[in-house]
Amino acid sequence: MTPDPLEALRLPIMPVEPRPEFTASLLRRLRGARAPAVGRGATVRYFVADLDAAVAFYRDDLGFDEELRPSPSFAMLYRGDLRLLLSVPGRAHALPDGTLPDPGGWNRIVVEVADLGAAVEALRGRGIRFRHEIVTGVGVRQALLEDPSGNPVELFEPLAGYHERAPRAAKEQPTPDLSTGEREDRR
Amino acid sequence: MTTVSVRYIVNDIDAAIGFYTTRLRFELQMRPNDLFAMLRHGDLRLVLVRPVGPDGPAGGGAPMPDGTMQEPGGWNRFSIEVPDLAATVEELRRSGARFRNDIVTGTGGRQIIIEDPSGNPVELFEPILPCEAKLSRPAPS
Repeated sequence: MTPDPLEALRLPIMPVEPRPEFTASLLRRLRGARAPAVGRGATVRYFVADLDAAVAFYRDDLGFDEELRPSPSFAMLYRGDLRLLLSVPGRAHALPDGTLPDPGGWNRIVVEVADLGAAVEALRGRGIRFRHEIVTGVGVRQALLEDPSGNPVELFEPLAGYHERAPRAAKEQPTPDLSTGEREDRR
Repeated sequence: MTTVSVRYIVNDIDAAIGFYTTRLRFELQMRPNDLFAMLRHGDLRLVLVRPVGPDGPAGGGAPMPDGTMQEPGGWNRFSIEVPDLAATVEELRRSGARFRNDIVTGTGGRQIIIEDPSGNPVELFEPILPCEAKLSRPAPS
C-alpha cells in the first residue's frame, strides 16, 4: 500500500520542546546544508574473536574507557582522542563473496607511554604477549604487543628531539613536556 | 589538540603517499627517506613504513626477533568520515580506486572499504543521524 503523504497532518498535534541544538541542526538540514562536523579525534576498527576478553584487555591493561557495548558483537572505547571500535566478525562485515574479516595483521594503533620500560614490564607481568620487546628506532623506542585476539598494538616512547622532527605538529601545539609523563587527557 | 597515531605497513612509500594525499586528502608531514613517511588527516597521524629485513634499520618496519617480516593487509583499519559516501565512492571509483565491497548500511551509518596501493583497508564512513534513522524506518503496519 502506498503511504498517504498527508497522513502526518491528520495525527494529533503534540506540543514538543526541542533542544536548541536539535532545532538548529534540523534547520540546517532542511536548508540543505550539512551540519558542521562535531566529531574530533580519530576512529579505528579492530576485529576480535572474543568481545569480553578484548574489552577487558583494552580497559584494564591499556587504560581505555568503555563507552558503549550495545550488542555482544560490538563495543566502542576511548583513549584520549582515539575511538576504538571492536567488532566480532559477522554477516554484516562479510564481503560480497562471503569472506569474513579476521583479527591480526600488522597495521596498528600507536599508544604513547611515558616510560616504555616500565610499561612493558608491567604488561609482561600481567601475561600480555609481545611480538617484539623494546626496539630503538629514529627518535622513538617502541614495543609491539598483542591483544587477546592477536591484534597488534604498538607502545612508543618518544626520545628527546622527536617532536622537533615533526615541525608542523610542533607549530600547531605546544611541545608537550615529556618529563611529566603520559598526557592525562582521557575522557 | 592531541593526536592519534596509526601505523600502516606499505610496500611503496611514494605510491602510498600519492594515494593518501590525492584520494583521501591527507597532508604530507614528512618523508625523510623511502622507508618512512608521516601524514595527517584531522586528528589522525598516519605513519607509513616499508618493512625491512634483518639488515635494515631498527624501527617500526623491522622484522620480529624470529625473523618474521611485517606486511600490509589485514582487516583492522582506521575510519574516515565523509559527508556524502555515495558521491565520494563514485568519484573514487572513477579515478580507479579499488574497493573490497560495496556500500554497507549498518546501525550507525553507511560504510565501505577502500584499499591503498599495498592492499591496506581504509573505512569510509557516513554517519546516519538518529532522527534520520527513525524517519527512514518503515511505518508499522
